[in-house]
Amino acid sequence: MTRLWVFAARDLRRMANDRRALVINLALPLLLTSIMGLSFGGGIFGKKGISAIPVALVAGELPDALRDRLLAGLQESGFFAPVWADSAQADALVRSGDVAAAIVLPDDALKGFFQSDSLSVAVWKDPSSEVKAGIVEEIVRRGVLRVQAGEAAYRALWPDDYRISTGDSAAVADLFAGGLDEIWRNLRDPDAVDSRKRATEFLARAMDHQVALSRALSEPQVGLTIADRIPVAAEDGRESSLFDYFLPSFAVFFLMFAVAGGARDLHRERTRRTLQRQLLGPGSAWPVVVGKWAASVVQGVVMLSVLLLAGALLFRVNLGPDPWTLPVVVVLTCTAASGFFMLLALLVRREKVLDNLSTAVILVSGMLGGNFMPVDNMPEWMAAVGRFFFNYWANLSFARVIGDNGSLTAVGTPLTVLATASAVLLVAIVVLFRLRVRRGGWA
Amino acid sequence: MIEVTDLVKKYGTHRAVDGVSFTVGRGELFGLLGPNGAGKTTTIGVLSTLLKADGGQVRIGGHDVASSPAQVRRLIGVVPQEIALYTDLTARDNLMFWGRLHGLGGAALSRRVEELLVMADLADQAKRRVDAYSGGMMRRLNLVAGLIHEPEVLFLDEPTVGIDAQARSRILDLIAQLGRQGLTVIYTTHYLEEAEHLCDRIGVIDRGRLVALGDKESLISQIGDVDLIRLSLPEGERAAFAAECGAWPECAGVGERRGKVEIRTPDGGRLLPRIQDWLRAHDLPLEQLEIERPNLETLYLNLTGRGLRENGS
Repeated sequence: MTRLWVFAARDLRRMANDRRALVINLALPLLLTSIMGLSFGGGIFGKKGISAIPVALVAGELPDALRDRLLAGLQESGFFAPVWADSAQADALVRSGDVAAAIVLPDDALKGFFQSDSLSVAVWKDPSSEVKAGIVEEIVRRGVLRVQAGEAAYRALWPDDYRISTGDSAAVADLFAGGLDEIWRNLRDPDAVDSRKRATEFLARAMDHQVALSRALSEPQVGLTIADRIPVAAEDGRESSLFDYFLPSFAVFFLMFAVAGGARDLHRERTRRTLQRQLLGPGSAWPVVVGKWAASVVQGVVMLSVLLLAGALLFRVNLGPDPWTLPVVVVLTCTAASGFFMLLALLVRREKVLDNLSTAVILVSGMLGGNFMPVDNMPEWMAAVGRFFFNYWANLSFARVIGDNGSLTAVGTPLTVLATASAVLLVAIVVLFRLRVRRGGWA
Repeated sequence: MIEVTDLVKKYGTHRAVDGVSFTVGRGELFGLLGPNGAGKTTTIGVLSTLLKADGGQVRIGGHDVASSPAQVRRLIGVVPQEIALYTDLTARDNLMFWGRLHGLGGAALSRRVEELLVMADLADQAKRRVDAYSGGMMRRLNLVAGLIHEPEVLFLDEPTVGIDAQARSRILDLIAQLGRQGLTVIYTTHYLEEAEHLCDRIGVIDRGRLVALGDKESLISQIGDVDLIRLSLPEGERAAFAAECGAWPECAGVGERRGKVEIRTPDGGRLLPRIQDWLRAHDLPLEQLEIERPNLETLYLNLTGRGLRENGS
């Protein structure tokens, strides 16, 4: 075990010294996945684009005309895709991530407002859609401020076609028709008592509205409550985007190049004779190749971890339902990948041949194993062929954990395949390496 | 210390080593001399347990190389012809790795690494990556890396290939120092002067066969006290000269090689006037004439008909 660690530590140190490999294996995949994240996963720190933000409106007993105008106004803005909902529906829509936020007015919002009661507007936000929900919040906040400034109150009270009642306004119009002498006569006309009464009532109510207006102007009567709604996904499922698939599948794709490079180093050591020098050390030959395999596994784990963590931090990619499922998938993916490419290296005799073969294998297995399209969307024949490649099972595991928020039990089968493949490949590389050394082919 | 008996190593039908036998005593510096492709590296490969022999027997320190490779490996150190180092690591990291590989660790390893860095005159360059070293520095590090576990036998496979004269001189001094310290060394080279300068005994190998074995003096005495004269002549005149020269009593043998006539004679000085007379008689100018005293090159030439720097394949 000590010798194995000596070999692995040596390779890890060399990898850390190799700036070119660090760029190719870490910086480049990070850059490419970031570009993909921005393309498929929405903006940084968000889930989707910022156009047509889905938003739910809860407005209780708001008059139809006002509801229609509010809806039309939001739609015409081009920023929102609004839907009406009752309180319970809006809550469900926010939690499921179908809308970024809900704007909630109390049932008697208008009535209460005109009765000079204070009004509370709430915004329920999906915390996983920070950007979009933030936009909704900001717009509502601005609207509330404008109401607080009296503008909304004025519009509600004095629209062009505003009438408290048609009759009342007619009465006022009749009462105030003609010149002053005519107005005076109308006010004293015993036959116009009813008309005068209605006109008086109208004016009194108009005065009330004036009072309400001046109060709205002098002190805020509309409050704003912002509340996050924890998405349902965080509890038992989640919204997924195309990037949730692309991040791990591209990470696995880059992993294959990285571990193929590690396997190629076996040939380089052979041509530089450092391999032969190692074989002259005491003890068995197997730690030489297993140490190199172990270093390749560690390199792969670091690479996948960095990419997945970057995806989670920058693009809110799901890292699974618990802290252990994804690490198990990552480790088994790396053990299988390293074993596969190390075996490939031992099967060919020259580095040049290995280079060409590795590239071909990576491209073919990448296609058939689901690195370029989601494993769940693969044609049946492709999935059937893909099962012969370790990356198919790795991609399937990542899809279940990241895409479906599946736990260890959900990825039992692919993990079993990866673990078995890793063990078989490890035994195969040890046996083949010993055979090569014994026959002198690697000396 | 080393006993090699009828060693055979084949690659397919080609016999790279063909019935080689020799012994090397403890503390002896033994040279294996031969051109490229003669079988030197293959011989070292079998002796160092990396290659399996197809015939014969090799014993090192009393252990059979084929049946007890692990015991043999504890006794030997190998310095391959190539720079078998991690050029992306520093000199110290390289030596630390090779030391750990041999089970060393802690203060003992650190101490040994410092000793070797001083020995290689690389102590002040220990923290630099090896790929920043000159060819000579790499060669010195390559050499001391084979000594990290203090072996009793050291195989040096052409350790001076591809370096300048000054760097070579430092390497040879280092090897001579190791010889004085009592290390048993097998040194392969195709540089005659290195073998002559360093080795107690020399085995001359050609096409997989050991064609001569002994110390320098005894090897040279095998060809007798004969000078070699090389004379440049126009192509049409060589045959006529050779025929006439062969009849002179001072001539021990005459032949043609590389566009020159080669004459072996017990006394080159006595033959020169005859050659001058012959040239004058045939109205030919003296273009080039060399007289060479007997050495290992002459021996090799006599034994194989080829020079040491020529490709042996």
